[in-house]
Amino acid sequence: MNKVLLVGSPNSGKSSLFNRLTGLSQKVANFPGITVDVTSGSLLALPDVELVDFPGTYSLQAISAEEEVAVEYFRRALADPEVRHVLCVVDATRLEKSLYFTLQVIRDAQHHGKLITVLANMADIIDRNNLTLDADALAAEIGAPVLMVSAKSGSGIESIIDRLRDALVREEVSGGRWSETPDALLRGTAHQLAHQHGPRGDVLIQSQTRLDRFFLSGFTGGVAFFGIMLLLFQSIFTWSAPVMDAVEALVGAVGSVVVPLIENTVIADFVADALFGGIGAFLVFVPQIFVLTFIIGLLEDSGYLARAALICHRPLRLFGMTGKSFIPMLSGVACAIPAIYAARSVDSQRQRLMTYLAIPLMPCSARLPVYALLIATFIPDETMFGGLLGWQGVAMFSIYFLGMLMGLIVTGITHRISRVVADDLPFVLELPPYRLPGLLPILRNAEKRCRHFVTKAGKVILSVTIVVWILGYFPNYGADLATSWLGTIGHFIEPVFEPIGLDWRYGVAIISSFLAREVFVGTLGTIFGIEDAEDNMAPLVDQIQASGLPIGSGVALLVFFAIALQCVSTLAILSRETRSWKIPLRMAAAYLVLAYMSALGVFYLVEWLV
Amino acid sequence: MNASAITKTLWSLQAGDAVRVIGFDDSLPERYRVRLEEFGFHPGENVECLMTPGLGAPKLYRVSNTVFSLDDDIASCVLVQMAVSPGAAL
Ligand SMILES: Nc1nc2c(ncn2[C@@H]2O[C@H](COP(=O)(O)OP(=O)(O)O)[C@@H](O)[C@H]2O)c(=O)[nH]1
Repeated sequence: MNKVLLVGSPNSGKSSLFNRLTGLSQKVANFPGITVDVTSGSLLALPDVELVDFPGTYSLQAISAEEEVAVEYFRRALADPEVRHVLCVVDATRLEKSLYFTLQVIRDAQHHGKLITVLANMADIIDRNNLTLDADALAAEIGAPVLMVSAKSGSGIESIIDRLRDALVREEVSGGRWSETPDALLRGTAHQLAHQHGPRGDVLIQSQTRLDRFFLSGFTGGVAFFGIMLLLFQSIFTWSAPVMDAVEALVGAVGSVVVPLIENTVIADFVADALFGGIGAFLVFVPQIFVLTFIIGLLEDSGYLARAALICHRPLRLFGMTGKSFIPMLSGVACAIPAIYAARSVDSQRQRLMTYLAIPLMPCSARLPVYALLIATFIPDETMFGGLLGWQGVAMFSIYFLGMLMGLIVTGITHRISRVVADDLPFVLELPPYRLPGLLPILRNAEKRCRHFVTKAGKVILSVTIVVWILGYFPNYGADLATSWLGTIGHFIEPVFEPIGLDWRYGVAIISSFLAREVFVGTLGTIFGIEDAEDNMAPLVDQIQASGLPIGSGVALLVFFAIALQCVSTLAILSRETRSWKIPLRMAAAYLVLAYMSALGVFYLVEWLV
Repeated sequence: MNASAITKTLWSLQAGDAVRVIGFDDSLPERYRVRLEEFGFHPGENVECLMTPGLGAPKLYRVSNTVFSLDDDIASCVLVQMAVSPGAAL
C-alpha cells in the first residue's frame, strides 16, 4: 500500500482537504510503536493510495511533551518505506504562519528521500479578494512544487491527484537544498520568503477586526458570550433530554419484549436489569455527547471558540487552567462525560489535566435527584424575608456553588504545589477568521465521538453494572437486598459511615450509586421498601425522616455527593482520554478521601450548631 | 532628528499602535521565544496592536495577515520599538 502523509499547521484547512481527497471515509491509521490517534483513508481518485492525516502542528521543533510525541510520530512515518510522498498544507493567505513549518517538512522529507508537494490552500479567498501569490516563484525558492488549491471550492484538487499519480512511478529523490540546514536558519529564511511572496491582505483583517470589536469588547462581547454559553448549556441540559428519555424508553421497550421470552428467572432478571440496565446506562449519554460535540464544532469552525477562550483566560489562569477550559467545565455542570471529551480542545497537557480535575466536581445533573431527596428530607420547607427566600432553595444553591468552588480550589492548590513549568504552553492563541461552519464534517465528527464512547467506555460501564447486579442479586436471587452480597458489604463497611451517623443502608446505596449517582435514590427506596422512589420521592422522604436520621448526617451526605467521584462512566472515559487507569483511579481515591473528610467535618459542625 | 525610538514591551501597547519587534526579554524561556518567532514575532517584523479587551484579558496583535492573542506573561517579554513619527515630535 502506498501511503501519503498529509501535514500542516492548525487552521490551514488540512482536515477539509483530507475530507475532499478521501470523501470522509476515515479509519484510524496504524504505525508501529506509536499511540497517537491518526486517521487515514484511501483517496477517492486513487483507491490504492492511503492518505494519512497528521495532527496539526506549528513546528517540528516541539516545545511540550505532547508535541514531542506528534513530531516523533511524523519522523517515524517518514522512515516508513511505504510512505512515498508528503503533502504539506499551508494557508495561502497567511504564509508567514506556515512557511517555517513547511521548510522543516521539506528538509526532513528530502532527508528521507521522500517527494514533497506544498498545497497552498484557500485559493478561493485569494481570488475573491484580488490578492496574488506567485506559486511558481515560491516553488523555485523553496525547492518544492507549490499547487494552488481550495478545499472549499475544490479547485486544484485534480492537480493534486495528477501529481500523486506521477509520483507513483517516480524514483525516490535524495538530498535537497535544505537537507542539512539548521532550524534557526530555516526560521530566518521562512520569515524573509513570507515577506517576499505572501499576499498583503489588509482586507482579510478588516472584517475580522470589526467582528472582534463586537465579540470581544465590554458590553456587546459580554452579552454575546452569555447568550452563546446559555445556548450551549441549554443544548446539553434541555434539548438532549427528550432524546435521552427516548433512548431509555427504547432500551426499556426492547427489554420488555425480550425478557418475557426467557424462561429461566435468573437469566431473565440478568437480562432485564444487568444487561439492558447496563446498556441503557451508557447509551443514555450518547445524545449529550453528540449534541455537545456538534455545538462545539460549530463554535470552533465559526471562529468563536478561540474568542471565548480569550474572554475566560484571565480568571481561569489563576487556577492553572486556560480559557479553553471554560467550555468543558460549563458542560460538566450538565454531565462530566461530554465535558471530558470537550477538554480535548485544551492543547496544553498540563492544563488539560487540571481541567479533568475540575470537571468531576462540577454539579452534574445526576447529582440533582440525590440533592433533591436529601434537601426535601432534611431542610425545612420554610421561607425567610417574608417569603422571598426559601431555605431549600438556599440549600440547593449552596450545594451547587460548593461543587464549583471545590473545583476551583482543588485545581488552584494542585497548580500551586505542582508547578512544573516544563510542560506548560505559552498563551499564544491564533484567532482564526470568522467563517460560516460546514455542517457535514461537524456532524461526522460528532458521530465519530459517539462511536468512540460506545465502543471504548461502553464495555467498562456494562461490566461494572453486571458486577454490581451480581452483588445485589445473589445469594438470595434478588429477594432481599439486605441479605445480598451487596448488603453484606454494606454491613461490613458500616463502621466507616458510622461516624457520620449513617448505617449500612446508606453504605449500600452509596456503593450502588457508583453506577450513576441518581441510583442512590432508587436503591435507598428499595431498601426502605418503596417502589419507584426515583419518580415519587415523598414516601421515601417520610420514611427517612421517621427513621430519625440526624440533620448533620443529611448535610454530610449532601457534601459527600458534591465531592466524591463515584461515577463509573466518568472514570471509564477519563482512562480512555488519558490513556491510563492511574490518573482516574488516583483522582477517585483522592476525591473519596476529600469527600469523606469534608462530610465528617460538616457532620460535627452541624450537630454542634443545632 | 526626526525619528527617535522608544523601547517598550508588546503588552504596554494601546490599540492602534504599530511597532517593530526588536528582541525578547532574557527571562523568556528559549522554547517560548522560538515559538513566538515561528508565529512571526521575529525581530524586525512589524506588529500592530489591534485590541485591548481590558480586565487583563489577552490582547490582540496582528503580524502580517494573522491575528494572535497573547497574555501578559508572554507579551511583556517581547521588546518592541515605536517609531515616534516626525509629526508627533514637533
Ligand atoms: N474559504 C475557504 N475556507 C476553507 C478552505 N479550507 C478550509 N477552510 C475553512 O477553514 C477552517 C479550518 O479548516 P480545517 O480543515 O478545520 O483546518 P485544520 O485545522 O487545518 O484541519 C474551516 O472553517 C474550513 O471550513 C478553503 O480552501 N477556502
